[in-house]
Amino acid sequence: MEPTFSLKATGRSANRLRKNRMAEIGAVVAAGVAIGALAILVGSVLVKALPALNLDFFTKGPAVFGETGGGIAPAFVGTAMLVAIATAMAVPFGVLLAIFVSEFASRRFGDQVRLWLDVLNGFPSIVIGIFVFALMVQNKIPIIGLGHHQSAWAGGFALAVIMLPLISRTTMEVLTLVPNNLREASYALGVSKWRTVLSVVLPNAISGIVTGTTLAVARAAGETAPLLFACSIFGQVVQTDPSVSVASIPVIIFEYSESPDTNLNSQAWAAAFVLIMFVLVTSLISRLVLDRSRRKLGAAS
Amino acid sequence: MRKTALALVALLLTALVAVGAAGAKTGKSQATVINGAGSTFVSPLVSLWTPALGTAFDYTLQYSGVGSGAGITAITNRSVDFGASDAPLTADQFAACNGCVQIPWALAGTAVPYNIPGGPARLHLTGAIIAKIYLGQITNWNDPAIKAVNPKLAAGETLPDLKITPVYRTGNSGTTYNFTDYLAAVSPQWSSQIGRGQSVNWPAGVGASGSAGVAGVVKNTPGAICYVDTAFALSNGLHFGAIQNAAGNFIFPSIRNVVAAGATVKSVPAGNELHIVNPDKTNPLAYPISTYTYIILPQKTQNAPALRKMVFWALTQGQAGKYTAKLYFAPIPKVVLVASEKALQGISS
Amino acid sequence: MEATATPQGLRRTRHALDRFGDKALYVITGSAAVLTLVIIALIIWKVVEGAWPAINKFGISFVWSATWNPVMEVFGAREFVLGTLLTSFGALLIAAPLSIAIALFLTELAPPSVRSPVGSLIEMLAAVPSVVVGLWGIFVLGPFIRADLGPFLHDYLGWIPLFATTPQQTGVLAAILVLAMMMVPITTSICRELFLTVPRDVKDASIGLGATRWETIRGVIVPFVRGGVVAGITLGLGRALGEAIAVTQVIGNSLRPLHFSLFEPGNSLASQLASSYQSAPTNIEISSLVYLGLILLVITFTTNFVAQRIVHRFEKQTGAR
Repeated sequence: MEPTFSLKATGRSANRLRKNRMAEIGAVVAAGVAIGALAILVGSVLVKALPALNLDFFTKGPAVFGETGGGIAPAFVGTAMLVAIATAMAVPFGVLLAIFVSEFASRRFGDQVRLWLDVLNGFPSIVIGIFVFALMVQNKIPIIGLGHHQSAWAGGFALAVIMLPLISRTTMEVLTLVPNNLREASYALGVSKWRTVLSVVLPNAISGIVTGTTLAVARAAGETAPLLFACSIFGQVVQTDPSVSVASIPVIIFEYSESPDTNLNSQAWAAAFVLIMFVLVTSLISRLVLDRSRRKLGAAS
Repeated sequence: MRKTALALVALLLTALVAVGAAGAKTGKSQATVINGAGSTFVSPLVSLWTPALGTAFDYTLQYSGVGSGAGITAITNRSVDFGASDAPLTADQFAACNGCVQIPWALAGTAVPYNIPGGPARLHLTGAIIAKIYLGQITNWNDPAIKAVNPKLAAGETLPDLKITPVYRTGNSGTTYNFTDYLAAVSPQWSSQIGRGQSVNWPAGVGASGSAGVAGVVKNTPGAICYVDTAFALSNGLHFGAIQNAAGNFIFPSIRNVVAAGATVKSVPAGNELHIVNPDKTNPLAYPISTYTYIILPQKTQNAPALRKMVFWALTQGQAGKYTAKLYFAPIPKVVLVASEKALQGISS
Repeated sequence: MEATATPQGLRRTRHALDRFGDKALYVITGSAAVLTLVIIALIIWKVVEGAWPAINKFGISFVWSATWNPVMEVFGAREFVLGTLLTSFGALLIAAPLSIAIALFLTELAPPSVRSPVGSLIEMLAAVPSVVVGLWGIFVLGPFIRADLGPFLHDYLGWIPLFATTPQQTGVLAAILVLAMMMVPITTSICRELFLTVPRDVKDASIGLGATRWETIRGVIVPFVRGGVVAGITLGLGRALGEAIAVTQVIGNSLRPLHFSLFEPGNSLASQLASSYQSAPTNIEISSLVYLGLILLVITFTTNFVAQRIVHRFEKQTGAR
């Protein structure tokens, strides 16, 4: 009874299969091209960084003009300072903001704040630079009286403005993940709201805050544009005074990348290598922490 | 897990600090810190002065080569102790700076380096040709006008069929001022269409920031040409052109030739503004794009004693051959030195 | 929200402390929220304030006036606006199809052992600082364009004005490729997450009905996530529009009218700001530069706002589904 037929598609079906095949090949090729290009990016940083990665690079200041050797120690210290200042400003602020939105604010206001945080996150970082320049480099800040010149404070503040939405949004996300029955259980025991927030909600959300912070630190550490206006007039030695301008890794990479001096070019690659490693390690950490906290909170609810 | 993560982040940060702090030995003591910013033109020289000033006075000089324009802005805001510029302050800038003094403190030539693979090592150029290149009218290295002034090339050297990429400074630059000042002096068309200034409306080419930036583009771009402090060209192995001066000679920015240009200053006007580009034909040796470069100081400053000492040192011992010679800076002539020292007396706290 | 039944035995002091504590927490966190909004308003205010002298002098025609002449003190933004749009949309044209293709590859085609590691790798690459991409643009991409890619395009496609001139290593094409490089990781990770939200059974049903994988992708997956993909790509575009450093490193910072050829140097709003702002001497030039920043702010603001709207609508839609 069964008519014999070939399993080979013909006509329209063959055409469909061919199309499918081509689309698949297209996707694989596109993925290959893009992944290849990204791999070349990381690979060239690795290869070109090696000649300059030595002890002097980490411990010395820049060499005298026209001589080889030297390092970018001032930039390491400067970036650590800038990031520390920015973190110290942005973390408390961002967390308080997130608490307000998730625990107190009306839905509407919360949505508004979220929207504007996303808008702030989308501001070009160079515009943040103009803002900080106009606010505290060109003029003295009213009241505090700080400023009127470039400083690590100004640079740190610019980075803090960039970090704020990242920290705040992640914290909000985690706060909404904290199961409501935990809060209710706390209220049922007669615990007041602020104690509940401090001793029940926040401890459950701490990993989210850490995630947001590390992500933000990773982004801030590599920001160049705002620092150009806020913190880029620096000398050759290590500075630890935040009221003056300090060197930083991204600004050094920017300067050295345009230099004709191959010695400085290699140092730019080496600095890029250090920066990428820092960024990759911090984002790896944040990813691990976030996954874990999601799993934990997911299991608890 | 959480703690490990936190600890890791903390560890990374402390590692950065510790590593840097290890290097902090260089800046350890309670030395007087002098902050300056501006000209990238003079920055190689300042870079050599810095360690010497450290031994002579225990001063820590923190100089940032951010460009003359940015240096003028910085000293106008008083965000540094001194600014440095290769262009004299404009009247507006003088007014804005509110009691500033400009003091000529170094003298050098602006070289015109080029990158022509297989090209001549000693290319001859005239002001008119350079102006036409930057106007976008001469666009190829095999242009007859360039060939005409380079009749005898050494064996194996050619002027190839290669696109010319003129490279200029972005932002405001004293080197740009002197270069455009020169072009305006030798080319009527440049003078009327573009003019002179710390930044101009470049009709052709690509921009890069800082002396290092333009030299970097030339080093990496076959066919490119730029204008930069001779020191940057030399230390990076770039060939630079011999420029025809008013007397008709093709002149390299060697110290002798820059000295000849500097010597055309017979008296220093009040305000210390000096122009030595394109000296007339009674100076057969003078390099036509030479420039005095200035330090800009506020008349009233807390750091006055230290600044006076530092600048006096720079004007005298700082002009010694061991600092200036290998960077092709010329010692400043007596008449300018006297004026500079006199201006320096006006700085007080 | 309030605790329902307060046990009678609670001491008054504790009660007062709690009431104070609640208030204090409300006030402190509330002021953080308000201050954030104030900062955002202040950013916009400071930019407008800085641009004001130029707005006064040149008016709105600044936006489409082409001259940028510091000597004559006549300024206009047209070339920078065009440059920003050209580089960003050029990057979009390259990055969007690539990102979608990679995301499809990672969610539908790749063997499972490859999906997760490559996916997270690409997500991490989104964190590579732009200055590093620019560094790579100067030393790897630029020479590649001048020596290989450029001559290839010039030889075979030279009849198209876009590739008509001699390839150079700094120029609009380099900027487009660098921006595409920065967009791909961002848009890929967004697309990947979106494709993962398409329910298994919908896909299975399509395959079960005899559709090929490509037909499933076109007929089922793409319509399901279309809004999200558009929003994701728009977010990537927002980043490209505002990118200053990587662009200024490779674009050539030209002040000429934008050339039709992609090999020629160009400029963009952000790159002009990055290369000139710090050293601008005259007030009107500084102000004009800030005006460029204001235009940039308006462009990115609109782009991101549109993206947020799309996301919002999309969330509502899928929520209703």
